[in-house]
Amino acid sequence: MSTGHLEAPSAPAGATPAGEITYLEAIRAALQDAMREDDRVFLLGEDIGVFGGAFGVTAGLLDEFGEARVMDTPISEEGFVGAAIGAAWMGERPVVELQFADFITCAFDPIVTVAAKTHWRSGQAIPITIRCPTGGGVRGGPFHAGSPEGWFVGTAGLKIVCPGTVSDAYGLLRAAIEDPDPVLYFEHKRLYRTLRAAQPSPEHRTPIGPAAIARAGTDATVVTYGSGVTTALAAAERVDADVEIVDLRTIWPLDEETILASVEKTSRVLVLQEASRSTGAAGAILSLLARRSFEHLDAPPALHAPPDTPVPFAPELEDAYMPSAASTLAALDRLLAY
Amino acid sequence: MPIEPCAEAPSVGSAERLELFRLVLLQRLFEDRVMALYRQGRVPGSVYTGRGQEAVAAGAGLALGPDDVVAPLNRELACHFARGATTADVFRNFFGKATSPTFGRDGNMHFGAPERGVFPLVSMLGDLVPLVTGAALAFKRRGQRRVALTFLGEGAFSVGDTHEGLNLAAVWQVPVVFVIQANRYSYSTPVARQMVNTNIAQRIYGGWSIPAERVDGTDALAVFDTVRAAVERARNGNGPQAVEALSVRMDGHAAHDDSRYVPAGMREEFAERFDPVDRLAARLSLDGLDTETIDELRAAAAAEIATGLAEAEQAPVPDPETIEHGVYAAPPFG
Repeated sequence: MSTGHLEAPSAPAGATPAGEITYLEAIRAALQDAMREDDRVFLLGEDIGVFGGAFGVTAGLLDEFGEARVMDTPISEEGFVGAAIGAAWMGERPVVELQFADFITCAFDPIVTVAAKTHWRSGQAIPITIRCPTGGGVRGGPFHAGSPEGWFVGTAGLKIVCPGTVSDAYGLLRAAIEDPDPVLYFEHKRLYRTLRAAQPSPEHRTPIGPAAIARAGTDATVVTYGSGVTTALAAAERVDADVEIVDLRTIWPLDEETILASVEKTSRVLVLQEASRSTGAAGAILSLLARRSFEHLDAPPALHAPPDTPVPFAPELEDAYMPSAASTLAALDRLLAY
Repeated sequence: MPIEPCAEAPSVGSAERLELFRLVLLQRLFEDRVMALYRQGRVPGSVYTGRGQEAVAAGAGLALGPDDVVAPLNRELACHFARGATTADVFRNFFGKATSPTFGRDGNMHFGAPERGVFPLVSMLGDLVPLVTGAALAFKRRGQRRVALTFLGEGAFSVGDTHEGLNLAAVWQVPVVFVIQANRYSYSTPVARQMVNTNIAQRIYGGWSIPAERVDGTDALAVFDTVRAAVERARNGNGPQAVEALSVRMDGHAAHDDSRYVPAGMREEFAERFDPVDRLAARLSLDGLDTETIDELRAAAAAEIATGLAEAEQAPVPDPETIEHGVYAAPPFG
């Protein structure tokens, strides 16, 4: 695949305070710590060695771990994901970097056909982690800014995680690498250098499955994940109500009970995602709400998500396409006024 | 025309010759039996056979060492037997029994024994090429003297995954062996409609710089000898290897397929001269094995099949309550 020369947005000027790291550095630290602790862990992907990856996530890891554990691959997502599955069968813990999440289409077959079904039909676990730099807001256009996680939601045998915080970027990646099942790890490009927080300890894990309450509230629930967490938090600060935010963290399988408990408390719910409206996790969440929250709701469940198009390139178009704090605030106002 | 005995192959020992005969017989007689059961309505789904290709399955299967791994397709029943599957295991899988290698979740030839180094078949052509390459990568990383092997047919050479896997194997120089089942048809499509240059060995060497040779895929001794040499080259650090085994698929793609697309007379002529089971029997006769012993070997294979069938028929059927068990090795919510 062609590699764009995309720069993830940087945080406002100023050094990261001591003891803090960025979301990107948390991902790198998780890889580094996992590799130091377990020699079965190795990395493979395009341009991840000398070049350090298209976004610099693996910068420096070649120097520490060498070519046998930081493997530059030919440009062949289907091939090296398939090979990672074979290595996992032999007991290794491969971590694949897809250069952009969009390129996962090339690897759909080994992920869905092979990795997802193998344990169920044979008892053989396939412990692979596939890192997918995802999302828009980086002027990447139709092939470098998508949020393709929705194609995998509902696929038995896969686990899909989408960290929305520095802590979860570290904790979910450590958990994914240690997990015996195939895990798709969607790391958001726009968060790489804009989120920073205290450096997690090497023992920190975010369990795969449970959602978190990113903000407690009583008047409405926002169910979201990935970049939506930051967006929802910003909107919640400005809305004239007490909003609860459910950060799913794992979008498949869904933590149904946490969603249902929050909605039972607030009676109003907005599903927020960056994936186009008919993809992502929204369909699964709205289906759950229709089936099991109907009697608790004071308003129809709302959805705030981009239109059903690829991600557009022009700044005017992409900015309109992406959910922002302002547009999420407007969606919350409509929900609360119902 | 009389049957063409297997070539002399002095490098193949007498125990190996007998074991190869046992394996090709087991595949042939098992498949005859399971096809009859299918016609009687006793096998759900379908039946895929490797009639005409048993020598490839047996020869490659026996060429592997105890710690090697393999991903067979659906023409390679003898390879499963070489790797320790029992006839009861295979019948249970055809019947969809709870105690089948796939717990009733997959059928016919879609099974393996991953813990014994046999990956369960994936139907999509080409998927197993990168997969065994990755297994071989693990061996290389660990400095283990182990080899991974898979089979692929002509149809797989129209799939991109095959190219990616061969390329990775060559770039990484890992201990993997690709055995090409060149049986002339991909379902109903003749090889000339899959590719222009039908010399696959030449393409593999010319295109990916992977050493590749052609072998008569109906001669079990030749296949065994050739694949064994390829496996040992891979084991000794010479990188990926390929063997193209030429044969004919004597049955249709599956039980429902009468293969009306195959020119009249082609299979009859093939069966008369090149049936792999008969070719090996003829060689064993020339070796000095008497007819009585050959008949005893046939009877022993038939008995092994009858015992396995009886055992599999008694096996419990799966409980629908368990359908969702085992989706995950570590279920997130218990």
